[in-house]
Amino acid sequence: MDFKREDIMNRVEIRAIATMLFLAGMSGAYGEEEVVCYESRKDASKVVQKEVEPGLPNVVCSPVTGAVLWWGDPYDGTEAMGEMPIEADYSTAEALVKPREEQLTLIQICGVACHNGVFPPVPKDKNPRKLTMHQDIVPDSMDLQHGRGAIWCLDCHHTTTRNKLVDNFGKEISFNQPQKLCGKCHGPVYRDWREGIHGKRIGEWATDGTKRWFVCTECHNPHDVQHGARNSGFAAIPPEAAPKLPKGMENADHERHHGSASGSAAGDGDAHE
Amino acid sequence: MSKEKIPVVNLPQHNSPQKKEVISQESVQHYDPEPPASTSRRKFIKNVSGMSAASLLGTAALMTNSDDVNANTEWAEHFQGNYRLMTDAEKQETVERLERRYSREYEKDVTVATTDAEDGVLFGYALNIQKCIGCRRCAKACVEENNQSRGDEQEIEWIRVLKMEKGEFTPERMNDGYPGDFGIQVGGNAYHAAGVVLEGEHYYEPEEVPEADSFYMPIACMQCEKPPCVKVCPVRTTYREEDGPVVIDYNWCIGCRMCIGACPYWARRFNWGEPNLPKEDMNPDTHYLGNRPRMKGVVEKCTFCIQRTRQGRYPACVEVCPVGARKFGNLLDPKSEVRKILASKRVFRLKAEMNTYPKFFYYVD
Repeated sequence: MDFKREDIMNRVEIRAIATMLFLAGMSGAYGEEEVVCYESRKDASKVVQKEVEPGLPNVVCSPVTGAVLWWGDPYDGTEAMGEMPIEADYSTAEALVKPREEQLTLIQICGVACHNGVFPPVPKDKNPRKLTMHQDIVPDSMDLQHGRGAIWCLDCHHTTTRNKLVDNFGKEISFNQPQKLCGKCHGPVYRDWREGIHGKRIGEWATDGTKRWFVCTECHNPHDVQHGARNSGFAAIPPEAAPKLPKGMENADHERHHGSASGSAAGDGDAHE
Repeated sequence: MSKEKIPVVNLPQHNSPQKKEVISQESVQHYDPEPPASTSRRKFIKNVSGMSAASLLGTAALMTNSDDVNANTEWAEHFQGNYRLMTDAEKQETVERLERRYSREYEKDVTVATTDAEDGVLFGYALNIQKCIGCRRCAKACVEENNQSRGDEQEIEWIRVLKMEKGEFTPERMNDGYPGDFGIQVGGNAYHAAGVVLEGEHYYEPEEVPEADSFYMPIACMQCEKPPCVKVCPVRTTYREEDGPVVIDYNWCIGCRMCIGACPYWARRFNWGEPNLPKEDMNPDTHYLGNRPRMKGVVEKCTFCIQRTRQGRYPACVEVCPVGARKFGNLLDPKSEVRKILASKRVFRLKAEMNTYPKFFYYVD
């Protein structure tokens, strides 16, 4: 009898837990049923799936990797790129960018909360010193893989206004326009990017069509552009699923192990079975 | 039977209610009193087999007015003309009929465009083979856009990404085949499927790409100026459009697969079975010559996303490429991205020696 009662108690408990889980699941479903995908580089350009028109999603994402596979609206969330310092084949109305600052969660507060221009003390010279903060925000900051030791933080980040980048004259550059900063050193690539033959653009193919331009940091990690021994500007990413094998093939190199009609007959056992 | 009542093949024009009434009564009474107008197509074919051509058309007309979505259109589709020979009115009628069928079948508003080539436009494509990392997003984006068959039974992808081996040939490895690990795989017989007969490997699945010592070469239709596939088509259903893409009128394809054999770039795919296209995944923005749903027994291939590019949009594979290796534009516009690449980069065309004059260029920085 005791045993039975215990059993019943257990069942009640289980049911209660199940109900709680169910409720939690429901609230989760109502609260944030959002699908978060990434565009070019993982963890750098997140995009939340939504409907831009009835039946038309802003993006379709890969079930395998979470990468965006298809844009319903290529201009969703973009703004005019603004003037570039050097003229190129574009008009500001046609060239759109997606603001980077929305992706950088700390950018809004770092300029006011800590770095107010006076404190912490502004470095007197440009001699690199050991970084004591920010390893948590920028995990790769202690091991800067950019410039092979020839540059440091304040070559790109503004000395007093920390939510801005800096140009050669000490003027501020918005995080939304990193190309103005990167172009300081990477001239030929910058030139190709302006011409539309480096980097990624989506939208209309016509020369005077509206395009969303992807800016440098959407694809490249500025703190780790070398990727160690790979020495490649683009991080390695997981690939999409392989195509299905032709019907009747068990694996891609089946014949290597079992022989083939024209190859060695030694391992070709299946045909006789 | 009522020969004089069915003078033409253009079926959906039979709108007058009296005519419909007459035909349906006759057919039903004469051959099968039991089932009403929504008889299955198979049954009708069975019933109709002994009839004259005219009464066959009568039955077709009946089917056109019935509620059976598939029966309606498949009958009418059998009698539609070659797309290139259609008048604008016929095109309009054909497209409206297809839109009706697709919309009901996929339960959404499907549009089938017939947008023509624009004057002064010749589409060109450039791919930076040095940048490609082999992530296969282009192949998957293409499937999202172009309504290919998917699933275990029949998976069709228009883009293949080949993994190629870096390195050099050495005397020791002369008999290893290429790529080394897999050897030259040929053969295949009644019991065994043919192996991978291409250079390069399709089925690589590492944790991350690019792999060390590998480069990747995506191939799809090259949209040749002198396409071998067009030369061999016995029914002239595949042809080259004025702005470049080689297209197929699926309704006129007889499935002989001569074009597949003729294509030097392995670009064409065949629907061996009924394509599997889930309703929720179906892209409703289609073009007659492009991504409208295909049927069993027809060939399909890349069209440079004709439904997008004729509306001004980049092809889906260009947009999805995470490294920006894919570029697309108007070859007749000197300021276009492709023309700038042709002017400033080192460019080659695949199998240029075959004089196919592809409009797809590979380049390196």
